[in-house]
Amino acid sequence: MPNPPTPTRVKPSTLAKTLGRAVIVALLVLLALTFIFPFVWQILISLSALTDVDLLTQTGFPPALQPENFITIFQRVDLARYFFNSFFIAGWVTILQVITCSMAAYAFSRIQWPGRDKVFLLYLATLMVPAVVLMVPNFVVVLKLGMFDDYSGLILPSAFSAYGTFLLRQFMLTVPSSLDEAAAIDGASHWRIFTTIMLPLARPGIIVMAIFAFLFNYNSFFWPLIITKTANLRVLPVGLLQFESSYGQETPLIMAGSLLAMLPPIIIFLVLQKYLVKGIQLGAVKG
Amino acid sequence: MIGSKKKRVAIAMMFLLPNLIGFLIFTAGPIFFSLYMSLTDWALTKHNEFSTEPIRFVGMQNYQRLLVGDESVFFWDYLGNTIFLMIGIPISIAGSLALALLINAKATPQAPRIRIRAGVIALVIGAIVTFFAWLATTPGPLPDPASPLLEMSAEVGLTDKSLFEVARLRSISFTLITAVFSLVIALGLIVGSVFFRTVYYLPSLLASVPMFLFWKTLYRPRGGLINAVLDPALDTIQTIITSTPRFLWYALGIALWTAAIIWAFRLMRSGINKLVHKDAGAAAFIGRTALVLTMLITAYGVGAVLVQAPQQSMLRSGFTSLDRSQTQTIADSLAAEFPTADTAELNLIARNTDGSSPDDAARFFATALPDDALPRTRTIARAQAKPLHDGLTSGDGLTSPEWLLSPSWAKTALVVMGIWTAIGGANMLLYLAGLANIPPELYEAADIDGASGWQRFVHVTWPQLAPTTFFIVVMSVIAGVQGGFEQAMVMTEGKADTITLSYYLYNIGFSDRFELGLACAIAWVMFAMIFVLTIFNFRVGNQLTND
Amino acid sequence: MAQVTLKNVAKVYDKKIRAVEDVNIQITDGEFLVFVGPSGCGKSTTLRMIAGLEEISEGTISIGDHVVNDVHPKDRDIAMVFQNYALYPHMTVYKNMAFGLMLRKLPREKIDKLVRDAAKLLDIAHLLDRKPKALSGGQRQRVALGRAIVREPAVFLFDEPLSNLDAKLRATTRTELKKLHARLKTTTIYVTHDQIEAMTLGDRIVVMSDGRVQQIDTPLNVYKRPANRFVGAFVGATPMNFLEGILESADGRFFFVAGETARIALPAEFSSALADHIGNTLSLGFRPSAMREASPADPQDERITLRTILVEPLGKNADVSCEFPDGTHVLARIDAREDFPVNADVQFTLEMKHVHIFEPGEFGANLVHPPADILAPAAV
Repeated sequence: MPNPPTPTRVKPSTLAKTLGRAVIVALLVLLALTFIFPFVWQILISLSALTDVDLLTQTGFPPALQPENFITIFQRVDLARYFFNSFFIAGWVTILQVITCSMAAYAFSRIQWPGRDKVFLLYLATLMVPAVVLMVPNFVVVLKLGMFDDYSGLILPSAFSAYGTFLLRQFMLTVPSSLDEAAAIDGASHWRIFTTIMLPLARPGIIVMAIFAFLFNYNSFFWPLIITKTANLRVLPVGLLQFESSYGQETPLIMAGSLLAMLPPIIIFLVLQKYLVKGIQLGAVKG
Repeated sequence: MIGSKKKRVAIAMMFLLPNLIGFLIFTAGPIFFSLYMSLTDWALTKHNEFSTEPIRFVGMQNYQRLLVGDESVFFWDYLGNTIFLMIGIPISIAGSLALALLINAKATPQAPRIRIRAGVIALVIGAIVTFFAWLATTPGPLPDPASPLLEMSAEVGLTDKSLFEVARLRSISFTLITAVFSLVIALGLIVGSVFFRTVYYLPSLLASVPMFLFWKTLYRPRGGLINAVLDPALDTIQTIITSTPRFLWYALGIALWTAAIIWAFRLMRSGINKLVHKDAGAAAFIGRTALVLTMLITAYGVGAVLVQAPQQSMLRSGFTSLDRSQTQTIADSLAAEFPTADTAELNLIARNTDGSSPDDAARFFATALPDDALPRTRTIARAQAKPLHDGLTSGDGLTSPEWLLSPSWAKTALVVMGIWTAIGGANMLLYLAGLANIPPELYEAADIDGASGWQRFVHVTWPQLAPTTFFIVVMSVIAGVQGGFEQAMVMTEGKADTITLSYYLYNIGFSDRFELGLACAIAWVMFAMIFVLTIFNFRVGNQLTND
Repeated sequence: MAQVTLKNVAKVYDKKIRAVEDVNIQITDGEFLVFVGPSGCGKSTTLRMIAGLEEISEGTISIGDHVVNDVHPKDRDIAMVFQNYALYPHMTVYKNMAFGLMLRKLPREKIDKLVRDAAKLLDIAHLLDRKPKALSGGQRQRVALGRAIVREPAVFLFDEPLSNLDAKLRATTRTELKKLHARLKTTTIYVTHDQIEAMTLGDRIVVMSDGRVQQIDTPLNVYKRPANRFVGAFVGATPMNFLEGILESADGRFFFVAGETARIALPAEFSSALADHIGNTLSLGFRPSAMREASPADPQDERITLRTILVEPLGKNADVSCEFPDGTHVLARIDAREDFPVNADVQFTLEMKHVHIFEPGEFGANLVHPPADILAPAAV
């Protein structure tokens, strides 16, 4: 070396470090506020009287709080029915998916049978096909099976998820095979191994899949829109949109309904966040 | 391996069948069915229980119609809209990474005791500040008659009597903002990164119709929160602009543009070099591309504002949308000009195109007219619309855009909302997981080698995250090509030039025409696009992640 | 209690890969039989076929008087301890042990008594309420053992049960296993790749390689009379030394000639066994402990001269790494002494009663000390 190295950088002082951290925290907080304030604003609108909404940007707070909006919306539109439909459909889809996918995943991960890998490859291949490709033929299938404008048409097509099967199979593969061998020697049948060993051990994976299935179907809009025509079968997104397009001026009521519709996903997320975060990350690593 | 082969097959089938049957009926079967349908003239209006007309096999006709035939005017336009909405993808990916890095910096205190102590202190300070905010802003018993509030309240139709009321409400609002602010700080300190992760993630969890309805109110030109914030800001900018010599702004705009172009050129050259020579370090290429794209877009926006250039070139159609009476006028003049046209149909189109851009409307009108009528129709439609009067650069100086009502801003509005919802979503979680998986020794080694913060990012973080980025890009592109339907359906009802390919598929297949064969063809064209893009991503991704 | 018989058992994967070939073993009631061999030799596959976890491609396996080829594992009256223990992570120790009994629909009081007795026997009674996660490696191993013995099966199967333990724990657990077997007297089949475990535990050892049984015999016989070169090389704490050479005869005596490097006179006892092999290429095998420093009394033509490279004192003994002039490496175990010369030519003598001569090839048969019967039946 021609020149001895000169110490150009010294260790940052504690003050500089603290300042740096404070800047990061400030950024984190400001960003959090950009996500929180819109929702605060939505709550304010939903609590306003119809006549006060247009002034809200000027005053920043409604002159009179009107929490009864949250009741009125139920009277103005059959929101209870939409809630029931959304929960009923998403709930059934979730239950059926958990049953069919976990059983299929067991067959794919734990039983040796000829042709298994080929069938699984077929499952995998369909994951590459975008959902829009399935939309039209499924519409025809539902029409031909007489499930149009019926709960069955809303539930059954989603009850057999190839993605869910894939996810659970990957999860079950991580359970050591010696466990079910031990159970077999202990005297358990396949059904016994499935229910008492595999299901409890794959529980985190099943919860993840169930959350995905529920949230996806709870938020689903395109399919319910094209497959139903009776008002009684409307799910929340469709029902809210119909209400909005007929009573577009009633912003407080629309916001109240929209807030109510957002509550279940928020609660589910807050309660099961641990599983969901893991699941999303697992899906990427294995996928 | 347990039990005889026959028995195993039987048991496996018992486990598999419930799923397999549904899978064949609703997933695997329909894929082939769809391919077949796309080659037929299947339409529910022609083939239903009241009609015995057979479904005809028409070969590639549907595809031909889409790509070069009578539907191509719509298809290419909607493809353009779809691609426009995908501009948000690189921005939101960069944003997700930024959020993940911020969260991962672990800047909030980590030790539980300090966390709680800091949180409680923040809470107490917040409460005090909130209290004083209330004290300071709450109006006294007698409002000052000279207050600017008086003018404002007259403007929004308030009487003198409610003057006090407005001041009181603003005080509450201000106090509320302070309280929320304090609460976020306190929670952030106590709960730490999980709190921020949760808050950032929520919008993506809720990205469905209810939230789109809510954003629709935010985007209202008047009475919407966004313009309420934007208006005063734009006024300030306007004041600054008008009080500065014009040529300075031209110079600044041109300088920004030049810098962006030079940078983009250099990047392209080095990027191509690296791709050609499979040079090491090419992983940074994606990052810089995203960066430059973002910067080009920003530079464009800023430049456009500063130079006050018309925004036609990028945001298309420099016209306001048509209202109902204008579309009717178009219909009438078209009826006069083309005596052969079906007046009833023209009137119907006039009703349906209420709120469309003139070019959109022209395309719809042209479907009811002879084949070569489109150019003429467009001239008539454009004559009806006023030249662009909204946006940041109207003749009256800077005013807030009309967002969802304006064909030149609606897509941008959707992109902004898309970024807001996606930025803290699954992509951020994936980046967080990716960051957690980077071995700390790599950073220690980089420190010993004397890397600065930025160099640590370029040489350690970014290359280590390359597989994550690759996965995110692939998934985002797949979703992007199919996207836009719900947003447009809820927020613009397809008006203001926001129809994407999936919305187009809905219109063709399920909304008014029920041409299932053609709808399937659209789906397969989308699949082909996804396929090609994914292959491309894999090609580039493999080169960039393998160095 | 039961005997286990394997008759012409073979395992074929994908109709091509023959993982296990023609295994014939008669395991008597109460015997402790150890399968040993390098990884991939087919020992685990054989055990899993006995357990019913792998299909038997060819041949028959009987437990007691019944052919069990098509019998489900649960009906074979066996219990198995897995390498990773395979404890059900979501069940407590108690439940883990009781699971098999519950599935057999035993009355609850009976199950409780059996589980507690077994737990007491294995000294894990205080762990019954814990889940496997909260146990140490050794404790888990005991629970796995407990789960096996609580069922009182006719046959115990062990699949490398000690390989996840540290060296010290492995030694003590080995002793306990041996005691446990002495007490329960249940037929036990044990698979390991560790030849020390095999020697110390087994009543008899089955040495396997390449899917085939190489030798079945008592530990001592396997050590002293290896059936072929592979067994000689595999069994024993220090590997056997081998010299390749040609058998010559002169003046009525036999000589083993390893090129230029050595010409070793062979004792007269070998003559009858070697008579047919004169002029053939053979290998000479001897353990390091069969070597000693030559004393003047030793006949010149029974000595070999080696260059010493390195001495590793072990206490009473010392291991000496040596080389023939042609580079062939030989390890000698000699009585330790301080001034042993390094980098010098030293003369060693072979103890001829511990020298083996094998036919060529990895599995060349032992010509001079063959076992009485490589598939020797149990001594019991």
